[in-house]
Amino acid sequence: MRGTTRWSLLLALVLAFGLAAAACGGDDDEGDGGEAAETGGGGEATDEPIVIGAAVDLTGQMAPFDGPAVTAAQIQVDKLNEEGGVAGRELQLRVIDHQLDPERTKSAAIELIDDGADVLLVTCDVDFATPAVQEAITRGVLAVAPCIGTDQMGPERFGDQGKLAFSIGNVAQDEGAAMAEYAIDQGWMRAATATDNVIVYFQDVVKAFAARYTELGGEVVVEESWTQGDGTIQNVVSALDNANVDVIATSTAFDDMPAMVGGLRSLGNDTPIICGWSCDGNYWLPEGTDNFYLVTYASVFGDDPSDEVKELITAMEEQDQAPGTGGFVTGAAAIDAIAAAVEETGGTEGEALADAFEGFEGLETISGEISFSEEFHSVFGREYRVMEVQNSQPSFVELRAASSPAEIE
Amino acid sequence: MTVLQTLVDAVALGLLYALVAMGIGLVFGVMRLVNFAHGELLTAGAYALLLTNDMPLAVGLAACFGAVVALALAMEVVYRPLRTTTPTTMLVTTFAVSFLLQAVALLAFGARGRNVGVLSELNRAVSIGDLRVRWVTLVSIGVGALLLTATALVLARTDVGLQMRAAAMDATTAQLLGVRASTVIRFAFLLAAVVAAAATVLLTVQRPLVTPSYGFQLVIPALVGVVVGGLDRLVSATLGGFAIGFATAVLGDVLPADGRVFLDTALFLLVILVLLVRPGGLFGRTRAAWERV
Repeated sequence: MRGTTRWSLLLALVLAFGLAAAACGGDDDEGDGGEAAETGGGGEATDEPIVIGAAVDLTGQMAPFDGPAVTAAQIQVDKLNEEGGVAGRELQLRVIDHQLDPERTKSAAIELIDDGADVLLVTCDVDFATPAVQEAITRGVLAVAPCIGTDQMGPERFGDQGKLAFSIGNVAQDEGAAMAEYAIDQGWMRAATATDNVIVYFQDVVKAFAARYTELGGEVVVEESWTQGDGTIQNVVSALDNANVDVIATSTAFDDMPAMVGGLRSLGNDTPIICGWSCDGNYWLPEGTDNFYLVTYASVFGDDPSDEVKELITAMEEQDQAPGTGGFVTGAAAIDAIAAAVEETGGTEGEALADAFEGFEGLETISGEISFSEEFHSVFGREYRVMEVQNSQPSFVELRAASSPAEIE
Repeated sequence: MTVLQTLVDAVALGLLYALVAMGIGLVFGVMRLVNFAHGELLTAGAYALLLTNDMPLAVGLAACFGAVVALALAMEVVYRPLRTTTPTTMLVTTFAVSFLLQAVALLAFGARGRNVGVLSELNRAVSIGDLRVRWVTLVSIGVGALLLTATALVLARTDVGLQMRAAAMDATTAQLLGVRASTVIRFAFLLAAVVAAAATVLLTVQRPLVTPSYGFQLVIPALVGVVVGGLDRLVSATLGGFAIGFATAVLGDVLPADGRVFLDTALFLLVILVLLVRPGGLFGRTRAAWERV
């Protein structure tokens, strides 16, 4: 018995060695051009499509931002596929509408990544996007928001794993700086600021405006603030009306935006008001709004200086998805940036893509040149469309890039 | 900004909250129901004004009042089976109705707001020295006084008013004496709807962007006002609404610009203090027996 057992053990060892050798040989064969299981394999060559998952809100309060961005992203995906794809691979966009429900947001991200999403697009608000972003970055998948406008989409909020989180939206420090530089160029040297405390983006845009404005020799003589919906917007209007300034800088949206602008104009106050992207669109403009200026991504009023942007708008209109603000273009720009990163790295591995994003300096996209850095995972350096509103009609004035993002606390 | 200007702005906000509080107080008085969906009456009225933006003013106003009254009567039908249930059940149901109606508005009109342009000229101001008084503030004072007086007269001088007061004091005894609960409650909803429609018109002048949560945002502070003023009487509830609006505007001016993020903190600290000192409400009576509406 003992001798038989010894021989059996020897035979088993020989068989095991043989199987292991065969397995190693099999790996070599696949690496020579067989079908690799492409799950973020860095520079591995493959014919499998690049899957971009989108866990976004197409129904709730973020739908006006996410919907146009996703439509624009799909159009850009189709365009790139017609041109031969990215690194020889087809792009696919898979969308799940999570309706801003936190549980559904997380489960949408899980479902998309489990189904092979190589990159995840998330909703345009960092708080609402967080469940999806965390799911993506903990699994090593690049998370990209089309239009979050703060520095929160990155290490600032998500720690070391935040290296894999980016936004194609303009960082507030850059947007506020562009507003201030435009105001100074107009000779508006005394300003009042009106800060809406409801979200960090609004606060940071105004802070950046004040920082760059004072750097350039302007004087902020009145600082007003309120919180959206707290009922005190008329106090703010009265205070701004009494401020003898050349320009009023703000960043706000929702109900209080027309209440402030309409309130001031009804009092006969024609002081120029300058705002960021949050004031884009004509859906909120009170009748007879004059002397209102804003910086945004693209003009949706037929006069954008870029033919490519105009074509994109036309394509969206043909799908009955006419954009309401210039933010739509960030969806298409997100696809451009992802495509550039894949081309650069030759694969879809999250960490490598993040390195590529951080290195983008003046990357050409449909929304103009965009830059990121280790500090800013949201865009700076993009040329803004300065828009002017007279008699409630917005029109394009000029392209303007901030000289640099402003430094804020 | 002058103290007088602050007081004028505070009166304007106070009047708005007072009208909302009055509607909540009317229904609570006869049904003991805190209707969280009251804000959706305002939203319905605002969307009616929006849809009739390009039509003559009279059509818009008729649509607004019609939509609000119709929705209020529909709410009364929905709440009818709840009369014998616990206050908790009623409260949760009103929340459900509120969220349901907001979801319907979201599906029908989308999340992006749309502007109502009705009576926007009322935003213009009368200048008295440095003081700017908007016409809408003056109109609100008039409308508020008119509605409160008219409601008081209806309650004091009409049969249905008498029945409402009786039902508010003791519903069971009132029913034993022949008061028809359904009629009384329906009438309370009707009155609340008329007040809500008037508030909607004034609200859209000051806040023209209509969104699915348009009215809901106003109901919470107004409800706090109702509790602070005293839930037990229509007048105290209305005054409580006014007080909350007034205090909000004054705090918004008194607090430094970088401290206004704490406005709600300061406001609710005041509310807690008031309720600690006067648990029955700032304007509530301490007598055990008295009329609620």
